[in-house]
Order: sequence, then structure tokens, then C-alpha cells
Amino acid sequence: MTGAAGDGAGDGTGYDVVIVGAGISGALIAKRLTTAGLRVLVLEAGPATAWTFDGYSAHLGHFYAAAGKGPESAWPPAVGAPQPDTADVRTGHGYFVQRGPDKYGSSYTRLLGGSTLHWLGVCLRMLPEDFELRSRYGVGRDWPIGYHDLEPYYREAEWEIGVSADVADQAHLGIEFPDGYDYPMHALPASYSDQVLGKAVNGMRVTLGGQPFALRVRSYPAARNSTPRDGYQPAGAVDERVDGQALARDLGQRCQGNTSCTPVCPVQAKYNAQKSLAQADRRNLRVIPQAVASRVLVDPVSGLVTGVEYQHYDSPDSPRHVRRTARARGYVLAAHAVENAKLLLASGLCAGSRVGEGLMDHPALYAWGLSPEPAGAFRGPLSTAGIDDLRGGAFRASHAAFRFDIGNDGWRATTGAPDTSVAAAVSGRRMFGSGLRRHLEETLPRQVRFSVAVEQLASPGNRVTIDPRYVDPLGNPRPVISYRVDDYTLAGMAAATDVYQRVFRQAGIEDHTDPAEGAWFPSATYEGRAFRYHGMGHFAGTHVMGTSAADSVVDADQRSWAHRNLFVAGSGSFPTMGTSNPTLTMAALSLRTADQMIKELTR
Amino acid sequence: MEPLAPDGTAGFAGEAMAGERAERFLAMSAVLTGYGRVQLTGTGLTAAYLRAVDASLPGGVLDDLLGAFARPRARAGKRAAGDDRELGGVPAILDDPRLGPVARNVILLWYCGTWTALPDDWHAAYGASRADTTRVVSPQAYQGALQWAAAGAHPAGARPQGFGAWSAPPEPAPSAGAGA
Repeated sequence: MTGAAGDGAGDGTGYDVVIVGAGISGALIAKRLTTAGLRVLVLEAGPATAWTFDGYSAHLGHFYAAAGKGPESAWPPAVGAPQPDTADVRTGHGYFVQRGPDKYGSSYTRLLGGSTLHWLGVCLRMLPEDFELRSRYGVGRDWPIGYHDLEPYYREAEWEIGVSADVADQAHLGIEFPDGYDYPMHALPASYSDQVLGKAVNGMRVTLGGQPFALRVRSYPAARNSTPRDGYQPAGAVDERVDGQALARDLGQRCQGNTSCTPVCPVQAKYNAQKSLAQADRRNLRVIPQAVASRVLVDPVSGLVTGVEYQHYDSPDSPRHVRRTARARGYVLAAHAVENAKLLLASGLCAGSRVGEGLMDHPALYAWGLSPEPAGAFRGPLSTAGIDDLRGGAFRASHAAFRFDIGNDGWRATTGAPDTSVAAAVSGRRMFGSGLRRHLEETLPRQVRFSVAVEQLASPGNRVTIDPRYVDPLGNPRPVISYRVDDYTLAGMAAATDVYQRVFRQAGIEDHTDPAEGAWFPSATYEGRAFRYHGMGHFAGTHVMGTSAADSVVDADQRSWAHRNLFVAGSGSFPTMGTSNPTLTMAALSLRTADQMIKELTR
Repeated sequence: MEPLAPDGTAGFAGEAMAGERAERFLAMSAVLTGYGRVQLTGTGLTAAYLRAVDASLPGGVLDDLLGAFARPRARAGKRAAGDDRELGGVPAILDDPRLGPVARNVILLWYCGTWTALPDDWHAAYGASRADTTRVVSPQAYQGALQWAAAGAHPAGARPQGFGAWSAPPEPAPSAGAGA
């Protein structure tokens, strides 16, 4: 499928920029550069199987038929571009080589569109204090830029992605918006369970680190199409067919409530990076899928990057490939926090810097229970609100911040409900017939679930490395992951557990949180308490940005200190992640990087 | 042209022609699930489920199970299927080491659209079969699973309720009060 996204830029050399990776960072940069008239080649390691709507729908069919409905269930990997799978966390097999001592629980997808194909779509900004953690609380690191530097790009990212939210809900914890600004679409309607919970919880007081907080169920900004503001046109499904007819484009201009943002929105009402790629100036864009960047070439004297070697494989089912080299004036690695680090290490780039060090995630706990009244579980976008008042505060000097996602899908994520609820009633409680039916009708709509996302700081020991003993079918290194959940995060988990238990009691929710009844997740122990945590897919911190080459891999523009025509983009650049899903911040950084590149390359 | 049911059969009429064995399977399924024959038939999945069960079991087991259900039904006279209060024999069937696990699997099949592999000790005692693996019977079975109706919801990823429907309270369960 060479040239899946158009051949406008020809196929010789003469590109201005080569971008490695067609996920959200690569797609946003490609859109902005091509629109400014720069000629761009995008190399995507995965196939472009979701680029037509028929192809995308085949992925949906894959999800329907899958026995397990995890985040990867709709997106099987290609032989030449393997990817981690959360099912492998337990077995220890799979793409990642896990060195421990703790297991890294997250996964990502190598396909045109990247992991936005299965993300939840929550678009929280980072807090101003998240950028200044060292100065304010003496932990973590400071960013080389602050919230106010990034704020204009947050706005641009919210409009590029298409985020539904109301400024009136989101201006808290120090987050500020300029007068007159609002999100491109109104907030999605609150789920019934958000409303039930809000009635019980809003205004509830808790004390953390001696500081009082009032809790509130607050709507989440989401990259899901809602009612537009002022002439904004929601972007529907991508349907890039050979005949040029985008027949499915009218689909997905509103969320339909399919209750499956993860692993696959059936109508693409949720943003995925293919949308930005499709909106690029196609005359200036060429995308080559099934092209795995294997080595970045550097001039030994100047340190400038001179090309990217890639392996172009014939078929997702086969490792057969040819080797090629792409050349341009500027280069962007936007392949994913782990893949970027892997490629830099495999190429011997940024030698002596901290490539691979500082890997983060949001190790998250599940809490689940039965509400006293039907809460309408299993209906609506998977999470439309959360309790996020404890994302910031002076307690961060001693332990991690956290927030509660309120799920709209019952206990699905944590126990595998409703299937496991049926099985427990039938096999465990020997129920059948109308008694079984009444039991399920009475309990399933009352299922409530929180995901407790806990902050993690960058620690040098948490890292991605490579080892020649571990390679994939194309001979490229597999990521070797060392990872530990430290006491700062574990103490945050302990505090979060106490708070969720109080919230449950306040709302009359019968706590059913029992790791023995839930799906398997890795555990870590703190002061005699075991916490079962799962990854949230929030990889960050593998090519950290900073103020000098001595303490970082890239500068505030995501430009490599060692190789000045190379930009390394994505959440790998984050010095801290706070408690926000990284995607919106990653998008804002990408747009900022693109502007910097345009300034230089169109000079 | 008559619309096709999701499994490609000609819907209700096609199911009705599936024969006496399918009728007995439906009658048993109504007792086991608590859903009436019409609701079960309306999923369009009867034939696919019957095929899945047959493919997963050694010969004769399903017919023995159907036979066991026919006996208490016969004793119960002409009372409606689905009213398990009449069927004192069902718990005994569910306790039967050979037929009980199969009957429970039929319940899971209707509620979840998934066939669940029988345990190894069952295979050792009563025989293995070609295709006794845990599997979603088909994409249609995933979508037609009764658990979604029981939850007052819709299958995740299909048959959405529409923009903003998730804001409204769930509708009362169809069988609420029915047994009172």
C-alpha cells in the first residue's frame, strides 16, 4: 500500500521533512508542515488497514469475534511491527522484555493512526503546577517551559483534535483560559451514573496533607464529537478509498453512545490520528505504511542526521522486506515514547544523554461496587466525568496526586462483566431461569467502577534499553523495560484508596473491590498493603526535555541537543506527567514543534 | 423480500422450520434462561447455537440433556415454558455431573454469546470432542447476547442508543415485578 495517503510529493528524494510515525504527534506535525508548503514523507511501521472505512470496519469485526475484549482486541499486530499486549504482562512473553522488579502494564498500537485508534479520548490539560513540580514541591523535575508557554497550543490542539467540553467546568486547579475562549464543541451529556454520583458526592469534604478539599463530579473534556459551537464542523470517519470517494465521512459526526471508545469507536466519532493525516495538504504529503525505521544515519562530523533507513515489508503476515533510505532536510521521530528511545539507542544517537531513562505511566487502581439504585451502567462513552480535585496540592511534596475516572461500562474493565457477572451467578450461585434473569436485571445496572489514576515521577532506573539478544522478526531490537513503582506513587495509591472508600460510603455504594474476583493485574506492596495496578497506556519520559544537553535529550522545542536537524516528539519528552492523559499535551507540544520547524525550513 | 436474521437464516419463519429438535432446544433454553421462546427466537441465533453445542460435545450428550428436560416438562403438563417454578427437576439436572455443566454452558451461550470449554475432568469422564474451545460463537452472537438486554443496555460497540441517551435513567427491567 505504498503511498496510501497520496503521492503528491513524488517518491524520490527532495522532501523537506521525514517523519517517523503516523500517530497523533506525526499526523499533527505532517498536517501543519504540509499546509505551510513543506514536502513531507511519513514512514509508518504498521499497516494502513484502517485507512478505508471498510478496512476499519473489519477491525470492528475482529473486536466482536475476539474472546477477550482488551484494548488490543481490534488491532492485531503485523509480523514486521510487533507491539506489546496487556495479556503478555502476566505471562512475561510478548514484545516487551520485562526486567522488573515490577511489571510495566501498558500497551500501544503500531498502525496508521497509532494508539489513538483505541484511546479513551480524555483530554485534560496538565496543571500549571505539573510543570513546576521541583520548584513548588521539591520532587520530580521542572519543565523548561511553563503552562503559559503551552496554553496557546493547548487551545490549538483542542481545535485540531476536536474536544468537547465547557470552559466553565474546566477552569480550576489553576488552569486558565483566555477571555472569550471555549472548546469547539459543548461538553458531552453527563452519564446517568455521573448525575447519580454527583448528587451524592458534590461538596463532600476531605483532607489531604492537612489541606481541605471539596470533591465534585466534573465533566471530562473528551475527543468525541458532541454539539458544535459557532460553526465548528465535527470531523467524521476517515474513508480514504482508492476511487477517492469518502463515502463514510458523514458517519461519526456525533457520538452515538456505542460504549466502546476503547478498543474501537465503530463510527469514528472519537478522534483518531488518521483524521489529521487526511486533513493534511495532500499535494505535499506522502505516507508509506509498513515501513519500519531501523536506523537513523548521522554525519559524524556535523552530527546532523542525513537519512532514515527503513524496512518496507510486503505484507502484515510476512517478515519479507526490502531496505530503503529516506532523506530530507529535517527529521522527526514521532514513533512513540518507547519506539523513539529504541530507535535512538539502536542508531547510537544522543550518546551520553539520558535516552530511555525516566519511563513513566499512570499505574492505576480499580475500585468497583454496587450503587444503591440503578445507575445505568453499560451505556455511553466509557468515561464522561471524574473526580479530579486531588490532582494538585501541597501534599504532592510527600506523595503522588491522583484522580478518579468514573466508568460508564459497569465492571467490564475490572472483572470482565457482564460476562463474568453472568458466569458468577450461573456457576457460583447455581442460578438459572427467571431467578437468574431477575438477579442480573437487578444488579448489572447498579455496577459502578472507578479507575484511580496515580501520578508517577521519572526515575532514572525506570527505563527502556535494548539488548542484541532480543530482536523482532525483522531483526530490530525489542524494548527491554526496567520498571519499579516507587514509594511516592505507592503512598499516593494508599491515600487514593482511603478517599475512594469514603466516596463509596458517602454515595451508599457497596464496595465489591476484591482483586481475587477481578481480572489479573500486577501488584506492588507498600506498608503491608498490596496494590493491584494496571497501566493506562500513558507512556512518557524516555527522551526528556530540559534546559541543557547535560540533563536532557531534547530542548523545549523537542529538538535533539546532539543532532540539530532532528526533532524527537511525543510524551517521551515529558519531564513530568502529573495526572493528565498525555495525549492533549503531546498534541500541543507537536504543534509547537511544527511551528518552530516551519520558521526554520521556510526561511 | 423477507429480511434476514443476523445469522443469515430467514428469521422467524426459518427458525420455525428448523425442526422438532430445535423446538426442544428452545423450550429447554427458555427454562434455563428465563427468557420466553419468542424472545429467544427473536435473536436469530437458535440454529447457530444448536450447531455450536453439537460441535462442542461428544455425540449423544445434548440429546440426553434435551431428554432430561422433556421429562419434567411432560410432568408439568401444558404450562408455559419459561416458568421454572413448575420444573422441580431442573436443579437435579444442573447437579448431574455429566449434564449439569452442559446445561450451565447453554445458559452462558444465550447470555454471553460465548461457548465455554468444559473442564478437563469432564472430558476425561465423558469424552472429548472436536471443537470444545472457549469462543465467541459469531459477531452476531456477541451482539445478540441476552446479558445486554438484562443490563438495560446494548452490546458494547454495536446497536447504540443514540447521542445523549446515556444521560437518561435506565429503563426498568422488562421482567421487574413479573414474578411478584
